[in-house]
Amino acid sequence: MIRAFLATLAGVLVLLAVYPTFGTGYGVRATQQVFMWIVLAGSWNLISGLTGYVSFGHVAFYGIGAYAGAILVTRAGWAWEPAALAGGLAACLLAVLIGYPCLRLKGPYFAIAMLGLNEVLRALVSYFEGLTGGGSGLSLPTLDASVPIYYAMGLTAMLVTLLTYRIVTSRFGLRLMTIREDEVAAEAMGIDTARHKLGAFILSAAGPGIAGALTARDQGYIEPVSVFPLAMTITMIVMALFGGKGTVWGPVLGAAVLFVAQEMLWARFPYLHQLLFGTIIVAVVLLMPRGVLGILQMKYRLPRTI
Amino acid sequence: MNVVITPEMVGQVVISGILSGALYAMVALGLALIFGVMRVINVAHGPLLMLGAYVTYFLFSGLGLNPYLTVPVSMAVMFVVGVILQRTLVFRVVNAPELSSLLLTFGISIALVNLAQLAFTSDLRAIEYLTRSFVVGPFAISGSRFIAFLFAIAVTALAFLFLQRTKLGKAIRATSQSAEVAMVCGIDVSRVHMITFGLGAALAAGGGALIAVVIAIQPEMGQVWTFKSFLVIVLGGAGNYPGALLGGLLLGLVEQLASLFLTTQLSEVVAYLLLVVVLLLRPSGLLSGRQT
Repeated sequence: MIRAFLATLAGVLVLLAVYPTFGTGYGVRATQQVFMWIVLAGSWNLISGLTGYVSFGHVAFYGIGAYAGAILVTRAGWAWEPAALAGGLAACLLAVLIGYPCLRLKGPYFAIAMLGLNEVLRALVSYFEGLTGGGSGLSLPTLDASVPIYYAMGLTAMLVTLLTYRIVTSRFGLRLMTIREDEVAAEAMGIDTARHKLGAFILSAAGPGIAGALTARDQGYIEPVSVFPLAMTITMIVMALFGGKGTVWGPVLGAAVLFVAQEMLWARFPYLHQLLFGTIIVAVVLLMPRGVLGILQMKYRLPRTI
Repeated sequence: MNVVITPEMVGQVVISGILSGALYAMVALGLALIFGVMRVINVAHGPLLMLGAYVTYFLFSGLGLNPYLTVPVSMAVMFVVGVILQRTLVFRVVNAPELSSLLLTFGISIALVNLAQLAFTSDLRAIEYLTRSFVVGPFAISGSRFIAFLFAIAVTALAFLFLQRTKLGKAIRATSQSAEVAMVCGIDVSRVHMITFGLGAALAAGGGALIAVVIAIQPEMGQVWTFKSFLVIVLGGAGNYPGALLGGLLLGLVEQLASLFLTTQLSEVVAYLLLVVVLLLRPSGLLSGRQT
């Protein structure tokens, strides 16, 4: 079973690694988008799936990474590779700054504070026009690096998934899940909940920051509205939820399935896609809150570390 | 760029802050009721407000009704819509973890906005009524904003009277204090949930109807109101109904003062910083204690 799984995984990875040599332009771009959603959904899962603290503005880290990366490329002339890492670092710094006060908030208050953070960052980015180009956006110099960025995004997705696996199978992960089940009990057992939550929060910010910087470099143009959309937070949450939150492979599965579903819906029903997306969200929440892997874990006793 | 800020200017923004604050309070009271009774964070609150604005717009432009006469109609229509939404979807996430209610109502929210775009197009629509301002001493006051303020005060007062005096109002407050004890006392809790969601939608719709006279409306107008209502109920203490009033006035004043002393763009940032500070110092809101 495990051997078959690992063999399939290796096969898929090899296929994805050679895909740019024969795939169409659209195919490569779409696959890169799936990688991005794996990074986003997987990272959201690290904080919200494991600790139960619902980050309802996680796209803030993506946006800050996009701006940090784009500013370093345009204003300081950095290459895109270090700029992407700097985007991740900027997101981690923001996570420290925000997480320290906000992770003390419980339940819905944390969710609302994170939602607000996203709105506020959008306002701030529009305000500091000198650095960010304000509402008219920021154009990056043209560069043909779509294949290297494909690999960079794929590598980030792999690292986020690997990180999730390492965390779920570690004492750190067990402590996070204890916080999710009962925070007071966790504290009574001597877990330093504040430090653990902050640690998970910082780890969950790095991936979106890098993904934001990579996407900004790839698209060549960013603006406040396009990098801080609430809908993006919701999409990553629904992906993680669909696959199974708190699992290692759930966000990967959710990102792949829902991305393909969304692409098909967008192309076929250009005027109705919001309505259909809303319906998908409602359906996932009401019909399968545990997600595909969560249900399988219950029914077939899949291991917790799937 | 050295603008001298005179006492008159401060007075002017304090007046506009109070005028918009009353409207925030009324809309947020709807959100506070829904959260207090059902523990549901209603992200669709703004889109419900938007639908209320469209009801008023079409009654005004189609039937030529006085827009202020349409406020109760709009509230009644959205009460029914709210009851239907609660009966079909929202009841499933009552008392569920916040993730479920956030996502479900977000799904409803984008579906409503999309439907509105299809039905009404994204064009801006304005109600040309009472566009004049009047002058009191050194201050200019917009007529439509002032009437919106009076309506908001009246509706909020009625809502409080309803909550305090009527049997149903008491049942709502009892349910928000403890659903289980309310049930033991013979209160039909699921009926209370239904009516509360209807009331919340009606309060949002009333706000939308009044805003429609002040500014041009379009299907995406609601989102910013969802966020503002969140700010208000967190400032006041979620589920604390008098707190929503205080929170509304505070948000109105802070926004206006921030736009005078800083810039309009930063007023949201200031409101957010205020939110974070309040949450840290008084996690249960400014008026803490569960006096509903």
